[in-house]
Amino acid sequence: MSIVGIELRRSAAVGAALLAFAVGTVALYADTGRWAGGWIPMALTLREYTLLLWPLALAAGAWQGRREHRAKVGELFVTTPRSRAGRMRPVLIAMAATIVLAHLLVNVAAGVWIAGTAHYFPLAGFTVITVVGTLSLVAAAWLGLGLGRLWPALVTAPALGVAGVLVIFYGAIMKPRWAGAALSPVFGSGGFFRYQTIDSRVSAALAITMTGLAVTGLLLLVAGRPGLRAAAVLPVVVAAGLAFTIVPRDEATLLGPSDQRARELVCTDDAPKVCVTRIDQNVLPALTPLARQGLAALAKVPGGPTAVHEENYEFGRWDEIPRDNSVVTVSVGIDDHGGLANPDSVVHGVVSGLGVVYQEDCERDGAVERAAAYYLMGRRPVSDVGVVPGVIEESPEITTEAVKLWERLQALPSSEALTRVAAVRQALVDCKSPVGLL
Amino acid sequence: MRAVSEAETATTIHPWAVQAEALQVKAGRHLAVDGLDLALGTGVHGLLGPNGAGKTTLMRALATVLKPAGGQLTLLGQPVDGRADLRSVRRALGYLPQHFGFYPRFTVREFVSYMAWLKEMPKAAIPAATQRAIDRVGLAAKADARLKTLSGGMLRRAGIAQAIVNDPQVLLLDEPTVGLDPEQRLDFRELLRDIGTDACVLVSTHLVEDVAAACTEVVLVNEGRLVWQGTPTQLTAQGDASHAGDSAAERGYSAILRRSRAEAAR
Amino acid sequence: MIYIQLYLRSRRVPLALAVAAGAAVVLWTLWLTLSTESRVATSMVVLTVGLLVSAVSTTLAAPDENLDRTASRRWPWWRAAHLLAAVAVVMLIPLATLMTGAQFGPATLLLRDVAGLFGLTALAATVVGAARSWFVPLGWAVIAALFPQPGLWGALATWPSQPHGNRPAAVVAAAFAVAGLVTYALAGPARREPAE
Repeated sequence: MSIVGIELRRSAAVGAALLAFAVGTVALYADTGRWAGGWIPMALTLREYTLLLWPLALAAGAWQGRREHRAKVGELFVTTPRSRAGRMRPVLIAMAATIVLAHLLVNVAAGVWIAGTAHYFPLAGFTVITVVGTLSLVAAAWLGLGLGRLWPALVTAPALGVAGVLVIFYGAIMKPRWAGAALSPVFGSGGFFRYQTIDSRVSAALAITMTGLAVTGLLLLVAGRPGLRAAAVLPVVVAAGLAFTIVPRDEATLLGPSDQRARELVCTDDAPKVCVTRIDQNVLPALTPLARQGLAALAKVPGGPTAVHEENYEFGRWDEIPRDNSVVTVSVGIDDHGGLANPDSVVHGVVSGLGVVYQEDCERDGAVERAAAYYLMGRRPVSDVGVVPGVIEESPEITTEAVKLWERLQALPSSEALTRVAAVRQALVDCKSPVGLL
Repeated sequence: MRAVSEAETATTIHPWAVQAEALQVKAGRHLAVDGLDLALGTGVHGLLGPNGAGKTTLMRALATVLKPAGGQLTLLGQPVDGRADLRSVRRALGYLPQHFGFYPRFTVREFVSYMAWLKEMPKAAIPAATQRAIDRVGLAAKADARLKTLSGGMLRRAGIAQAIVNDPQVLLLDEPTVGLDPEQRLDFRELLRDIGTDACVLVSTHLVEDVAAACTEVVLVNEGRLVWQGTPTQLTAQGDASHAGDSAAERGYSAILRRSRAEAAR
Repeated sequence: MIYIQLYLRSRRVPLALAVAAGAAVVLWTLWLTLSTESRVATSMVVLTVGLLVSAVSTTLAAPDENLDRTASRRWPWWRAAHLLAAVAVVMLIPLATLMTGAQFGPATLLLRDVAGLFGLTALAATVVGAARSWFVPLGWAVIAALFPQPGLWGALATWPSQPHGNRPAAVVAAAFAVAGLVTYALAGPARREPAE
């Protein structure tokens, strides 16, 4: 009968790990759409739920750390030759092993959901984020053990739980941002893009802080003399200082770092080219015919675009968006199962702007463009509500006006109508008002 | 049974398992043991004395819980003071505190083997030693029951089992018979005699009967000092019908106490 | 009066109140110094209430519950009074901040959350004992505070962090409050406390 085995059976470790597994899995599956797009999105979403798991591990540690005090075994145990550190080793191992396993199993449980669709698996990036997340949970559990021993009161565990939530929540949104990045295990979890990731230097800084925190917890747990216990604060201070020196300071790296390989476009071999970011490569087969259908509609007017690309902007580099009117840039949605979301909106998405890139300071007109686009698609214009994902209301006049213009186009011979549509497109390219051209 | 290492056989050269000279031990700020001289060898020693005599404080000092405030204390030939490395002494020590703390969720077997591990027994020897200790206290039927489900007497026996699991050379039992029924007390005396053949056992108790029946020697303390030391036969010879008590041993106990109090008052 | 005092001490009420007040002061000071808003964010208010309720939950059982029950006091009334007094006292702490620069409010939200979470705590205490009674209410409060959900089901699931006028959330809280009060008053805390 090994002692670690006894601790596994009789300590709070397994209960806490089961709870962590349940909380993590339920939280993830409550909204699979947030992370079904890929492995890094999944890791980042789970990182956000560290907001729940980290305080849970901390409180569980504190609950467990109080045990010797609660059971009043101190007098008996000091008469044994084994040192405090030796005595605590099995429970440290048990707490760490179960929380690591729980975190791993949450990843497995979520991974099953996306394994079939998420073809792009950035092993290094995913592993680093996940391992640092696991490390942060171990640090929380060990710190809890140490603090639970230091303040062996019943209220310590709930108080630490709430304190843990506040510290990592406000740590993640604190200014300066780089300090939050180095301190909070949930920092950077709210992404702007699916190809967003965590900068490796941020991960390294966080790993250092969390290791320091774990060592602090360890010292608090095993230290005998009060002096040594006071010194236990040193590891986390030193670690945080070290982390601050290596954490990047520029906003773009902190707020929206991209996984460049995930962001790269992957294209069809044959023309007309349809390209998506590598992280979305699994939806290319579904997207391609729809995108080409849109290109075919646009091809009815001369000089139309010849390729469709998924947008792959980078945070803080909006001004670097290429202005190439031979390429239509569309946003691609991923559904709850990792497949192409809203396939019905793809053709509309390609055609709606007549393949002309939006530019600031250029006048555009919703009704005219809608009438022209729907003419090319050969359908009667309808409201964007229910067609374009995310649009929940718009002024009905746009549709009324578009239908009026569209009916006028329908009445014309097709060559004349297409000439007018081409004029609208040319006006947009030239940055002129398209009003009155239909 | 476990293998006996060289270090363990080597410790038999010291004359006394427990030796105290002018020992002082504090309980809080108060000197509960004050100038106590004591030498105990192999055998079962009964520690008697009125409430507040310093019995528990003495036991705690012998168990290395409390550091001596003054004087000399030697356990198994090794001096016990603030600086000494107590590990080798502690490996050969068994202790049942007056208030026995335990993990309620552990089973008897788990707790006893956990204690064996804390006493740094070789890992391979722990399961067998645990089973033997549980058998010896008669808890085999409850070996896999959680401690929180045990009655007071069973808990006490579980406490004794953890104390003897490492075959200690110095076994300190602070009021071990509390909660035991008469039959169990008889078994317990048998166990004490058995252990006392090759180890130093010190049993603190208020039950003069237990001492008279199971001990090879009686140690009587009062107000932190050794008052009397002798065999149970000598103890019974101390009293006569004029002293309080229902048995010869109790009368002897009362007689010695009365005499020592009279001396102290002078 | 002295017997009330002894009763309170037997439940370690002074310690619990000191911890609760201390924690509230810390959170209040943090908000006062670190935020420019005078109204404290709802999530923070919910977390604070959860913590206060957890701190006071330790008073819901005697050190030896079995011993207490052998006494001839009319325990159901005592327990009900204890719970109601606890709700009132825990209410008072954040209410006091409404006159300061960091307001933990509004009062209706406080009432809903304190009563609801205390009801849940009391309910849990009858099942798992006072020592573990904070697990569920605090866990629920934390999840609700961090991830409040919209819609009817969302309001039911994350009732502690809904806006103060939300009717479904108020209904859930009232149900927990009443169920907790009745169950705890009649059944009392679970009886395996002393060993743990």
